[in-house]
Amino acid sequence: MSSIVEDKDKALSTVKQKRYWRSLDNLAETPEFKKIVEREFPEGASTLNDPVSRRKFMGIMGASMALAGLASCRRPVQKIVPYVVPPENLVPGMPQYYATSMPHGLSSYGLLVESHEGRPTKIEGNTLHPSTLGSTSAQMQATTLALYDPDRIGAVTLDGAAKTWDDFVKFWRGEFATYKAAGGAGIAILTESHNSPTMAKLAKRWKSKFPKAPWVAYESISDENIYAGIALATGKEYLPSYNYDKADVVLALDSDFLQRDSESITAARGFADGRRVKSVKDSMNRLYVVESMFTLTGGMADHRLRVASSEISAFALALAAELKRQGLTVAGLKAQGPSFSGDKKKWLAALAKDLIKARGKSLVVTGRRQPSHVHALTLAINSALGNIGKTVEYHAAPDAIFPRRDDLSNLVSKMNAGEISTLIIVGGNPVYDAPADTKFADALKKVSNVIRLGHSDDETANVSNWVLPQAHFLESWGDTRSVNGTLAITQPLIDPLYKGRSAIEVVSLVLGGRETPGYELVRGTLRDVIGKINFETGWERTLHDGLLAKSASQPVAVKMKSGALNNYPAGSVSITDSNLEIVFYDGNLHDGRLANVGWLQELPDPVTKLTWDNAALMSPATAHRLGVSNSDVVTLQVDGKSLEAPVWVMPGQADNSIALALGYGRRMAGSVGTAVGVDAGALRTSGTFSFAAGVTVSSTGKTYPLSSSQDHGSMEDRPLIREATLEEYRAAPTFAPDMVETPELESLWSDIKYDTGYQWGMTIDLNVCTGCNACTIACQSENNVPIVGKEQVAKGREMHWLRMDRYFIGDEDDPQMAQQPMACQQCEMAPCEQVCPVAATNHDKEGLNVMVYNRCIGTRYCSNNCPYKVRRFNFFNYTKDTSEVAKMGMNPDVTVRSRGVMEKCTYCTQRISRAKLTAKKDDRQVADGEIVSACQQACPTKAIVFGNINDPNSEVSRIKERNLDYEILAEINTRPRTSYQARLRNPNPELPSKAVEG
Amino acid sequence: MSTAAAKKETIPLDAPLVLGNPSFSDLSETIGGITEKKAPVQWFLLVGFFASLALLFAGSVGYLFWEGVGIWGLNVPVAWGWAIVNFVWWVGIGHAGTLISAILFLFRQRWRTAINRFAEAMTIFAVICALLFPMIHVGRVWVVYWTLPFPNQMMMWPNFRSPLLWDVFAVSTYFTVSLLFWYVGMIPDLATLRDRATTKVRKVMLGIFSLGWRGSNKQWKHYERAYLILAALATPLVLSVHSVVSFDFAVSQLPGWHTTIFPPYFVAGAIFSGFAMVMTLAIVARKIYKLENIITINHLDVMNKIMLATSLMVGYAYSCEFFVAWYSGNEFEQFAFINRATGPYAWAYWIMITCNVFIPQFLWSQRIRRSIPFMFVITIFINIGMWFERFVIVVSSLANDFLPSSWAYYTPSMWDVMTYIGTFGVFFTLFLLFLRFLPMVAISEVKGVLPAANPHYRGPVSSGGQS
Repeated sequence: MSSIVEDKDKALSTVKQKRYWRSLDNLAETPEFKKIVEREFPEGASTLNDPVSRRKFMGIMGASMALAGLASCRRPVQKIVPYVVPPENLVPGMPQYYATSMPHGLSSYGLLVESHEGRPTKIEGNTLHPSTLGSTSAQMQATTLALYDPDRIGAVTLDGAAKTWDDFVKFWRGEFATYKAAGGAGIAILTESHNSPTMAKLAKRWKSKFPKAPWVAYESISDENIYAGIALATGKEYLPSYNYDKADVVLALDSDFLQRDSESITAARGFADGRRVKSVKDSMNRLYVVESMFTLTGGMADHRLRVASSEISAFALALAAELKRQGLTVAGLKAQGPSFSGDKKKWLAALAKDLIKARGKSLVVTGRRQPSHVHALTLAINSALGNIGKTVEYHAAPDAIFPRRDDLSNLVSKMNAGEISTLIIVGGNPVYDAPADTKFADALKKVSNVIRLGHSDDETANVSNWVLPQAHFLESWGDTRSVNGTLAITQPLIDPLYKGRSAIEVVSLVLGGRETPGYELVRGTLRDVIGKINFETGWERTLHDGLLAKSASQPVAVKMKSGALNNYPAGSVSITDSNLEIVFYDGNLHDGRLANVGWLQELPDPVTKLTWDNAALMSPATAHRLGVSNSDVVTLQVDGKSLEAPVWVMPGQADNSIALALGYGRRMAGSVGTAVGVDAGALRTSGTFSFAAGVTVSSTGKTYPLSSSQDHGSMEDRPLIREATLEEYRAAPTFAPDMVETPELESLWSDIKYDTGYQWGMTIDLNVCTGCNACTIACQSENNVPIVGKEQVAKGREMHWLRMDRYFIGDEDDPQMAQQPMACQQCEMAPCEQVCPVAATNHDKEGLNVMVYNRCIGTRYCSNNCPYKVRRFNFFNYTKDTSEVAKMGMNPDVTVRSRGVMEKCTYCTQRISRAKLTAKKDDRQVADGEIVSACQQACPTKAIVFGNINDPNSEVSRIKERNLDYEILAEINTRPRTSYQARLRNPNPELPSKAVEG
Repeated sequence: MSTAAAKKETIPLDAPLVLGNPSFSDLSETIGGITEKKAPVQWFLLVGFFASLALLFAGSVGYLFWEGVGIWGLNVPVAWGWAIVNFVWWVGIGHAGTLISAILFLFRQRWRTAINRFAEAMTIFAVICALLFPMIHVGRVWVVYWTLPFPNQMMMWPNFRSPLLWDVFAVSTYFTVSLLFWYVGMIPDLATLRDRATTKVRKVMLGIFSLGWRGSNKQWKHYERAYLILAALATPLVLSVHSVVSFDFAVSQLPGWHTTIFPPYFVAGAIFSGFAMVMTLAIVARKIYKLENIITINHLDVMNKIMLATSLMVGYAYSCEFFVAWYSGNEFEQFAFINRATGPYAWAYWIMITCNVFIPQFLWSQRIRRSIPFMFVITIFINIGMWFERFVIVVSSLANDFLPSSWAYYTPSMWDVMTYIGTFGVFFTLFLLFLRFLPMVAISEVKGVLPAANPHYRGPVSSGGQS
């Protein structure tokens, strides 16, 4: 034991010695650095810790954790059935894939996890699962890094003193007897929301064991308003399930359904399926978006209207009135909407006409931010349009534990009244994210015994008595239900690295004072579902598939309750120059639980392109009026709360509406996420939970440096993203390749034909790419791409092999947005290859531009000569200090690059090699679709296709034949292997179309 | 000093190249004496100062090797910054020496004798400074020798298509030939110093380096033949080295780099900056070492004319680039140049234009051409302007290239600055050592242009010197 202590001490002393990153910047005295030093900006003060040194610290902490970590990297002892390769075929070096599911609020995401020698390394989607359909989001991908987070707590503590699980069990047995005798008086449990049959069973048991004890579920970001709206309209809480693929006309009211909504993957897939255009004969759906802040959904819109979130309610009402005017009755609506004039009136009329025309094939969807009555009205409109049962369905959720903010408020009152002596907090981080007016932390002081199950030593753990380490979902057994009721299994890929227990294990322990392994709990539940006969086969099958086949529920028939809309507020809030609003939104870090995941901190926000920070987003006009610009720090005040935040000017933002991302400004997130950005929660009360009007903004005169990964948003009229309307495309089907005249180009060298064997190529369909960043993180996870920290990003040294280029088109205040994934184009005539003095980058016979890291001397000439600027340079040894724990999550098939070498996208050459080897062993050719690159795999809209272009029947070859296909900068004779499909918009001919630039 | 020429505002073609009509021994004494007498205090102060700067360079490079090129302000897209700017700038400065020595020698420009040694030394040291940069700027400096073609167990040759490799050959060849040329030219003078040597050490050292020079007719014959051949060999190198350096840019496809005008444009710029630096140094040295009679105002006047001519050439190149960008119809090319003059680096562009095109126009005036303070200031401006020319070419082209999404602004770090300043330390330390220990003016050649060297010379020896 002493050796562990010694090692830790040694590691900590190294922390002190190895401070040169910091001193580098001290010495460098860059203006940015000076600015940080001079700033009196408490929320961000620790940004002083250059993230690089923060990473270093993490590395050193990790080294001390390695003892714990390495001891745990054995194969799980409980039985898990591999998805693809059965265990007897385990070949060292060959990854295995296991199906599992990730619980997330009331959603469940079915995943397939790649595991190397017992270490999960890569998250992929489970094609069988209805919520992921084989794809993933950036956040799902990043959960592997959260698993290997060296800042997770590794031991049970009581008031800071080390204890064991046995100590806790012993302690709880005593408490349990007392509370059980009292019928649960004095005890309460606070959990996250769950949609798990086992958890639901436990909740039922809680009610019978402790009838007087409340079970409170709270989520900082959830669909609570939607459920409440559905309940308001129909009398019961249902989960909505949208079929975007069946919708010809979609209206999104303040909804980012393509990116941040709970079921964004299915939404994006369905939406893309309704939008994909293969030839002039195809049609595509039309998307109207009404929103306050620019979202990716707004970027995909054919028509976008900037409306403050506070005004959406009135807008929905006006829409209902307009529908009524055009002959469609929205049942139960009494209130009259505001009457619009001018363009807005025309817009509304055209929209209503379009919706009515597409009756039964249209869809109105409202975002989770909007209050329940708007959701009730949305349901009424969808019902009137005949969409229910077609484009939108509702499912009962018998196993759901719904999140309820009111319950939390009640709990806090009870705590303040001294009625609660023991509070059990299972997951979540209420001290950080509970509404500010509840003063949860203060109330917690009145509870004598706080028991907290959580991942890290965060804000809540810090004020709890018993702190219990929580197992990550990749370490634990569980079960989840997806929106449509499909039952999925969560199975562990690895033994808990930090002695954690899962939520169900702890709740079960709390309920009986007895330890039951999660495995038994889940099997018990499944036994009830599958039945005792054939249970073992059914269980194996479920583990193998990751879900229980045919467990989806039938959609329920909903009916509008009479009088549901009686109380719809007729008066409208106007957001004006003197009445600003603030909108809280769900950014890369979600509610802050992902704050310590470096990948997500460094992932540029898909719209603002900010990394390592959140900022008060405002429109250019508003910023101009307030006299502030990027990086100026302002004080935001609303409802008696105030917060200082830096400004970021966002074109497309509704005027006088300020958006601020949640999840930042964590006070105790760990070595990566602590004090990154500002805590929007400081402004957020029960009354201003989603958005609020009456904000005052005052300038502080201070500035704060923000790191954005893309400084220039205009395409400068260059034909990079080629775009046309559907009409234009039909009139000129080859507009995309024709946009640039490419004469017959000759090469100085004798041309290589590349016409034998495999020739790899890729296509990216810009018409369905939403820009969600899932590919970027998938690539980062697959290819061991390092993070570099805020200062390095500010210097322009981010390492993402696949980046998302975001351009604005048109008017500065109200532009359109377009996204373009950009990675190595694998040019056949690669400019990089010709200039490398040591021939470190070369072409292989399959057309890949390959990088020989060992040969690279780092002249960076290749990067200068790359017209796409997709090459990434290791300016420092960015991977040197990766913690031992985080190393476990690295892909062993990909070299980790050191200082001074260039790197870039390889088309996942390791996946190509593996497929080729497998095919060779079977004495066959690699089949089309057998190789799936990491980005392609993650893409929710299937915009990316990879394959052999030498095979005319491969999917990629057939896509390249389409007339929308074009290559970027083909005119300079690079002959890229990646081509793009032009982007189309489908504007309503009755509405003025914005200028579409080429 | 006050010559008739200066009064008449024109220089007669037969104006004496050396003023004050010194005798041969006067010359040996004036120039050789500098290396023999105790160095003045100023010299020690200067060496102390510049050697400290050289240490700064060593320190900066040491830290660079320890940490990586991330300590510089580089990023993607601007993956080349000050290091490459400095490289091209120093190489350009390293141009004048060989030009003065070789080309002017072949053209029988006898006035060059006063400054050729000086200029050649400057060339050598400037090229040393230049060569340092490509070597230290690579990411993995410990394998920089892989750029050399040598047989190895990897069976790997460098990539002969890469202009960086051509650079390796061009600059190293230039350096070798320049060094050789400098040394060969110095042999008779070293022998003169050897003959004047009074200490054992000087005798032995100079004896070794003068290679047994006796000054016999036969030796002179061989020597002059060798010198001529070396001059003929060096002449194409003057043109080739900077042409090849320009290929680093011209051969790439980057708008602003990819242009066929670069080789002549770079050569003209190099001569321009090389002359400016020779002038800067010569003006100071002739003052300190009282060589006004040897490096005369007429010499400076001629050099000023060359600077004016090359300034017009680079000015033409600047405008030609714009014309070609417009004429090509290539939108990327057009943007690159408009952006240069109006974009984020417009300040650098206009510094360049002001220093390189506008300010040298003063040299049309003979009064300014013959005014030491004026020309000194102008040469400083040209040195600055030519550094900015390279900065504009390297950085502004990279910062705003094809895809606007990756555009970024480049800001140098303090390490960039310190490394650059450090090379001045290296350069001037070497130069001061040269001034102290080697004949800074080619004694034998200047003797050759003295009136007394003319076999028909019958003039009086006014100051009583002996021949």
